[in-house]
Amino acid sequence: MTTADVPFPAGAADRPDERAATGELVHKALVKWHFTLGVFFMMTSMTAGFLVSLNFLGAYPFEDIPWLSASRLRFLHTNEIAYGFLVNCFVGAMYYAVPRLTGRPVFSKGLGWIIFFVWQFIVLATSVGQLLGFAQAVEWGETPTGFRPGTFELNYIPIDALIAVGALLVALQFLTPLARSLGKRMYVTGWYLTAGIVWLILTYVMGNTLPEWTMPGASGAATVGLFIHDLVGLFVTPMGWGLMYFFVPIILRAPVWSHALSVIGFWALAFFYPLNGVHHFLLSSIPMSVQYGAVISTMAVEIVVTTVIVNFFGTMWGRGHALRSNLPIRWFYTGMILYFITCLQCAFHTSLTLQKTIHFTDWVPGHAHLVMLGVFAFWIIGIITWLWPRLTGNEWYSRRLNHWQYWLTMLGLLIMFTDLLAAGVVHGWMLDALAPWMDIVDAMKPFWHVRTFSGGMILLGTALWSWNLWKTARTPKPYDYRVDLVDAEAA
Amino acid sequence: MDRFLGIVLVAGLGCFVLAFVLSGLYPWMLNEGSAPEATLDELAEDVSVEFKDLKERWPEGFRQAYGAEEALNLQELVGVPEGDARRTASDAAWRTAYRKALQDGRDAYVGEGCWHCHSQYVRPVANEDTRFGPVSRWEQDNNALQRPVLWGTRRVGPDLTYEGTLRSNDWHAAHFWDPRVVSPGTVMPAYRWFFRDGFQVRRRIDPDIASRTGLDPQTSYPVPGVYDTRAEAEQAMARVAAETPENLAGERERLFIEEGRGLNDRGLSILAYIQWLGTWQPQPVEGGA
Ligand code: HEC
Ligand code: HEM
Repeated sequence: MTTADVPFPAGAADRPDERAATGELVHKALVKWHFTLGVFFMMTSMTAGFLVSLNFLGAYPFEDIPWLSASRLRFLHTNEIAYGFLVNCFVGAMYYAVPRLTGRPVFSKGLGWIIFFVWQFIVLATSVGQLLGFAQAVEWGETPTGFRPGTFELNYIPIDALIAVGALLVALQFLTPLARSLGKRMYVTGWYLTAGIVWLILTYVMGNTLPEWTMPGASGAATVGLFIHDLVGLFVTPMGWGLMYFFVPIILRAPVWSHALSVIGFWALAFFYPLNGVHHFLLSSIPMSVQYGAVISTMAVEIVVTTVIVNFFGTMWGRGHALRSNLPIRWFYTGMILYFITCLQCAFHTSLTLQKTIHFTDWVPGHAHLVMLGVFAFWIIGIITWLWPRLTGNEWYSRRLNHWQYWLTMLGLLIMFTDLLAAGVVHGWMLDALAPWMDIVDAMKPFWHVRTFSGGMILLGTALWSWNLWKTARTPKPYDYRVDLVDAEAA
Repeated sequence: MDRFLGIVLVAGLGCFVLAFVLSGLYPWMLNEGSAPEATLDELAEDVSVEFKDLKERWPEGFRQAYGAEEALNLQELVGVPEGDARRTASDAAWRTAYRKALQDGRDAYVGEGCWHCHSQYVRPVANEDTRFGPVSRWEQDNNALQRPVLWGTRRVGPDLTYEGTLRSNDWHAAHFWDPRVVSPGTVMPAYRWFFRDGFQVRRRIDPDIASRTGLDPQTSYPVPGVYDTRAEAEQAMARVAAETPENLAGERERLFIEEGRGLNDRGLSILAYIQWLGTWQPQPVEGGA
C-alpha cells in the first residue's frame, strides 16, 4: 500500500486556519477543562511522589498524621497519575482528535460535561478513600471497591463500579462518531482509539472483580498481572500511539511513512501485549508454562515496537530540523526514543536470568517512571503544548519556560532512571549475597537521595509549565498559528 | 479488519479474551481443579500462642476490639476440668476473635500499603530460601486471605511470608510505634495510630533490688491494661493490690497510675495477622500446578 491511499491527513495541511476549522466540530471548552484538571492532578500526584521519596531519606514531614502517612500517599501518587492525569488528558485529546478525524461531533456535549464532573468526583473520592485507608490490594487498581476486601460489606463509596460506568459513558461518547464510519476503512488512529476504549472497559472490570472475589493466590496474581499490564498496554499505549499517529503527521505536515507498518504495529500490539501479563510475577508459583509464554511474548513485543518506531522516524525523514524548532515534535520523538529504550529494557529484564536480580528492587520503579513519565506523559505534554495556544487563542506567556520545562524534566527523568536502575542492581546482588537487610537499606540511601533530587527537577519543570499554561490562558495576546508550522514556506 | 466492527470484535474482544483465557483463566482452573480455596474459618482453626499473648499484654484493647469475654488464657484455665463447658466456650470465643482479627488485620495491611514495601512470596533464586524460608508453593496462597493476592511487587522491607512467630509481640509493638528504635536507620514509616492513649497501672521496682543492681529507684514497669479513664485505672489498681499476697505488702505500696499507651483494635489485628503469616500450612496437593 502506498502513502497515497491513506485517507488522512492529506487535507490537513491545506486548511487555511485551524481555529476556524475547529470551531463547530470540537467542543473546545471540554478539551481545555480536561487538560486543566489533568495538569492539576499531575502536579498533585508528583507532589505526593516527591513527599513519598522524602520518606526514603528519613525526612518525612507528616509522620504522625494517619491520612498523610507515606504509605497511603503512595496510593495517591500512582492512582492520580493513572486516573487523574492520564485519563483526563487522553479524554481531552480525544475530544479534539476524534471529531476532526471522523468529521463528526461526539455523542453529546451535555454528556461531555456529565462525564467531566463525574470523573473529577471519582478521582477525588478515590484519593480521599485511599488516604482514609480503603484501598484495594491491586496495584494501579487501588481505587476503593467500596466493599470490605473480598466480602460484600459496604464500607465506602463503590468507586470501582463508578469507574466502570464512567468508562462506558466515555465509550458512548467517542465510539459513536467512530462507529458512524461503519463499513468505511478507518485511519490507524481510529483503530487504536476504538480498541483502546473497548479494552479499558474489559480490563478495568476484570482487574477489579476477579482477584477480589473469586481468584485467590497464584491465579489471582496471574489476573492482577494481566490487569497491570493491560491497563498500560491496552489502554495507555493505544491511546498514546493513536494520538501520535494523529498529531505527528499534522504537525510535520507529512503523511505517515508506511501504512503497512502501521497495520503490523497495531495487530501485533493487539495480539502480543495482553499475553505479557504474567511477566509481573515471574519465578512464582504460577504454572511455569504460563510464565514462559509471558516471557516469549514480552520479547515479541520488542519487534512490534521496532516497526512502529521505524515508521515514525520514516515520517520524520527530511524534517529532522523540526526537533529543534518545534517543541511538541521534540516531546513526541523524545518519548518515542524512550519508548524504544523501555521496551528494549523489557525484552531483557523479562528473562529469568535478569529477573533473579532485578525483581522486587528499585529497577522496577525506574522502568515504570521511564515508561509512564518519559513516554506517555511526554506525549501528553507535547499534545497540550501544541494545542494550548489554539484552545485559548493566546500566544504563549513565555516560550522560554517551555524549554526550561523540557530540559528539567528530561534530564531529571534520565537521572532518576539511571539512578534507580543502578540501585536495583546493587539491591539484587546484595540480596543474593545474603547481606543483612538493614545493610541493603543503607546501601540504597545514596540512590534515594539522588531520586529525590531528580524528582525535584521534574516537579520544578512541571510547576513552571503549569504556571505558563495558567498565565497563557489569562493573558490575551493574539496567537498566530503560522509561527508553529513546520516548513511553512514549503507548504 | 481496518473497519470499525473488525477492530471492536477481533482486536477489542478477541485478543483480550484470548489472553485472559491463556494467562488468567487457565491457571485458575488448574488450581481450583486440584484444591478449593481455604476459607477464613479453616485459617483461624488453630489459635496461635501469639494471639493469646495479645490478650495478656493488652487486655483492655483486646476486650474493646473483640469482646471475647469467654476466651480464657492458660492461667485462668488452671483447675477447670477437661471437657468442662467453660473450656469449650473459651475455645469457640478464641476462634471467633482470631477470625475477626485475621480479617481486620489483612484489611489494615492492605489499607496501610504494607504490601507496597513487603512481598509475600519466596522465589527459588537469589538464596531467598536461605534468607526467608521454603520457596512459596501455590497451595500456600490458595486461601481467603490471599484474595486479592498480597504477593507485592517491591521489597523495601524484607519478605513477610514466614514472619509469624519470628519475633515477639513486644518487638512488633515497639516497631510500629517507632521503627527506628528497634531497627536504626530503617525507612519503614511509624504507625502511631495503631495505638490508643489511656491510663495504666505501673509498679516501681523494689528499692532493695534497685540499690543492689544500681538501677534508678524510680524505674517502673507496667501492669498490663490501658484504661480509657483514670477512674477505671484506679479500679484496676485496687484489683491488682487485692490480688497481691499479704507477704508481698511492699509491692502494693509501689503501685501508681500514669498515662500509658497500648495497641488499639487496628494495631492488635495487624499484629495478629503478621504473627499468623506462614503459620498456616496446607497439605500439598497431588498433581497441582
Ligand atoms: C516504606 C516502606 C515500608 C512500609 C510502607 C512498611 N514497611 Fe515494614 N519494613 C520496612 C523496612 C525497610 C524494614 C526493615 C527494617 C526494619 O526492621 O524496620 C521493615 C521491617 C518490617 C518488619 C520486620 C521484618 C523482620 O522480621 O525483620 C515487619 C513485621 C514489618 N516491616 C511490617 C510492616 C507492616 C505491618 C507494615 C504496614 C503497616 C509495613 N511493614 C509497612 C519498610 C516498610
Ligand atoms: C516528581 C516526580 C516524581 C517522584 C519524586 C516520584 C516518586 C515515586 C516514588 C517514591 C514511588 C514509590 C516507589 C517505591 O515504592 O519504591 C513512585 C512510584 C511510581 N510512580 Fe512516581 N514519582 C514522580 C513522578 C511520576 C510520574 C510523572 C509518573 C507517571 C506519569 C509516576 C508514576 C509512578 C508509578 C507508575 C509508580 C509505581 C512504580 C512501581 O512500584 O513499580 N511517577 N514514584
